Amino acid sequence: MSILELDNVTKTFDGVRAVDRTTLGFDKGKITSLIGPNGAGKTTVFNLISGFLHPDEGVISYQDRPISGLAPWDIAQMGIGRLFQDVRLFNQMTVKDNVLTAFKKQRGESALMSVIARWKVAKEEQLLSSRAMKLLDFVGLAEKEEELAENLSYGQQKLLSIARLLGADADLFLLDEPTAGINPQMVKVFLDVIRRLTEEGKTVIVIEHNMNVVIEISDWVYFMDEGQVVSFGLPNEVLGDPEVRAAYVGL
Amino acid sequence: MIIQLLVNGIINGCGYALVALGFAFIYNTTRTFHFAHGAVYTLSAYFFYTFYNLLNWSLSLSAILTLGLIALCGILIDDVIYTPLVKQGASLFIQMLSSLGLYIVIINFIAMVFQSETKILNPEVQATYSIGNVILTRIQIVTTATFVIIFGLLMTILKKTYLGKVIRAMRDNPDLVSAMGINPQNVRRVVFALGSALASVSAILIGLDVGIDPHIGLTAFLNGAVAVIIGGVGIFEGAALGAILLGLLQSFAIWKISARWQELITFLLLILFLLFRSEGILGKRRRIEEAKI
Amino acid sequence: MNYVFHLLTMINIYTILALSLNLLVGYTGLLSLSHAAFYGIGAYISTLFMMNIGLPFLPSLFLAILGSVLLSLIISIPSLSLKGDYFVLASLGFQIIVFTILYNWIDVTRGPYGISGIPRPNILGIQVESIASYFIFSGVLAAICAGLLYLIGDSPFGRVLKAIREDEISAAALGKNIPRFKVIAFAIASGFAAVSGVLFAGYLQYIDPTSFTLMESVFILSIIIIGGTGNLSGPILGTILMIILPEILRFLRIPDTIAPNVREIIYGILIILIMRFQPQGLSGEYKFE
Repeated sequence: MSILELDNVTKTFDGVRAVDRTTLGFDKGKITSLIGPNGAGKTTVFNLISGFLHPDEGVISYQDRPISGLAPWDIAQMGIGRLFQDVRLFNQMTVKDNVLTAFKKQRGESALMSVIARWKVAKEEQLLSSRAMKLLDFVGLAEKEEELAENLSYGQQKLLSIARLLGADADLFLLDEPTAGINPQMVKVFLDVIRRLTEEGKTVIVIEHNMNVVIEISDWVYFMDEGQVVSFGLPNEVLGDPEVRAAYVGL
Repeated sequence: MIIQLLVNGIINGCGYALVALGFAFIYNTTRTFHFAHGAVYTLSAYFFYTFYNLLNWSLSLSAILTLGLIALCGILIDDVIYTPLVKQGASLFIQMLSSLGLYIVIINFIAMVFQSETKILNPEVQATYSIGNVILTRIQIVTTATFVIIFGLLMTILKKTYLGKVIRAMRDNPDLVSAMGINPQNVRRVVFALGSALASVSAILIGLDVGIDPHIGLTAFLNGAVAVIIGGVGIFEGAALGAILLGLLQSFAIWKISARWQELITFLLLILFLLFRSEGILGKRRRIEEAKI
Repeated sequence: MNYVFHLLTMINIYTILALSLNLLVGYTGLLSLSHAAFYGIGAYISTLFMMNIGLPFLPSLFLAILGSVLLSLIISIPSLSLKGDYFVLASLGFQIIVFTILYNWIDVTRGPYGISGIPRPNILGIQVESIASYFIFSGVLAAICAGLLYLIGDSPFGRVLKAIREDEISAAALGKNIPRFKVIAFAIASGFAAVSGVLFAGYLQYIDPTSFTLMESVFILSIIIIGGTGNLSGPILGTILMIILPEILRFLRIPDTIAPNVREIIYGILIILIMRFQPQGLSGEYKFE
């Protein structure tokens, strides 16, 4: 059952079609991978879905409602969460604060409430605090709660970004190269996390260059090149396609 | 009357244009918001005053000495203040704030040494010339001629020489410069020397025209920065165009409204451009959207 | 002794300015050069209401805050789309525009002639008259403002502001309405700046536009750069240091004619040194980077 659809979507930059009349569909509860060479338009697709870019043509629908043209924060509030290719943490904030920021619908995010309803906000903070610690525990960063995010190692930073994303309580996850630059043990951790998400009914879309990962977890694969979907299907089908193999040197 | 205003506007614009071009050379290539450019301007005026009025040296000697010293000051400022920050990976904000700090230091030194009242550099009454209904003072003519010559020289350098090529490379793609086998540090030095020298030319000319005080630099700098934004950041001709337009606009403001509201018009224009046409008049409409993810 | 009260009163006034600018610059990361404009707007609005229609102090204060907040929307809402450099420039433009209006709209503001004879406040029957009592009055107001700004900053709201400062894009991806938070932060900062303006007017009992220039904005910014941003102690320390500094110079027998210049040179050098060697300021939490 399709939860997200891009229908004939085009996005042009400086005369170049980064995404070219592309149609994509993503099923609920499944893990779909977007693969393709650099510059194929995959991250642009993510930007379009999450609202950081608006399509020049075409419609993007989430749960049958059109979302193209909405602001990124509105789309995020609808339940779409995003992991960026560069770990984008709040560097000069603590690990714990990074996670706390992710929670939605915080009463204390109103300046007014923080002043006149301080008690209520404090209580809510206590609850959020334990939720945050649970997430940090889950990724193994509980001891580092007071550490500034910028002082973590790269791998730890990636784990923190996962914890933060989980805190956002999304239904649809856009993960941009989640396993890049981390060691194989941690890759396993990430894959476990991704599988657990789908077990809970969440949908995951992954941009990946690591073909082993793609084969291991994908329910469905789209291969993009130069802004268009060139091939799609089950992982083995797509990765067996000679055109796809040709586009990837050294597969 | 209108023609006189127009002409005055253009001539004032030519004066701003030199400062603007100086700022543009520095900003376009290094992206440093060189607030201290205003201090360099003021420093130039006071160096010249010292040589010309206090030491009674000849005009040309004073001018040349000032230019040379100021060019060196420009290099010194970059070497001592900005480059170490760049090496530290400091953001443009930090550089800008440091620049503000430097501006404050220099201006106050000048005020301390020379006091704050306006000093006249040229006590004689200006010779005037009339062309038709328009009256021009000698200094106005010199300013305009200087600007035209310098502009021509700069454009030639930029478009026809290797140096110009390197400068344009620095603007578009600093990494390219190292790839070309050139030390970016040296390009920075050239640009700061050149930009500062341009400011000093303007300071001398305008100083001879209307006198000097420690705050002329701020006005000159702000006008220059506005001119660069209006004309188009990154485009050298834009600085000159923006400056002349600004001069014209201010003239019209004086005519239609009143001289008092000049600054309001200038900065209203700045804000309008920032909001609706941040690429400036000559800039390419590159509406690059928010995300560069 | 009066002189000590004078210094302390100025510290109170500037503490509010520093702490409020801190919310904008230190927490949200919005470098603004227009704080003095709101300082001035607050001073003029309250003064004009009190002197032209005899409105009592408290309503005048309220209107000054309201006016400042509303005017902040004029600059903040359109500027939301502007990136870093350009936002600073826009705030600079706004500052100069406000100054030009205060200076030239002589019919209303009396421009450079200034407005004198501003009454000392009368709050619910209590007349705050002497310098000593003004010190207490301004101290109470400063403490209230500091307390409020603390509550605002040390909260989930403050956390979002910091997140915006750190990485606007992932904050947006987490569902935070970036423009809304920025506008609110700007409005809060401007409202508090107005309070300082009202205090200033009531204290000196005279105002003119030369107290609310671009260089004044730079001065307030310097306070938090030197003292430190992102927390409470930085701005307060910065304020105390910068207000006391002229007194230290006087103590060192620096002649009055050049004392203001020396003072400014010192703080200019401090800015340069801090930006180079200690970007978090003397006591701040956030490093400008």
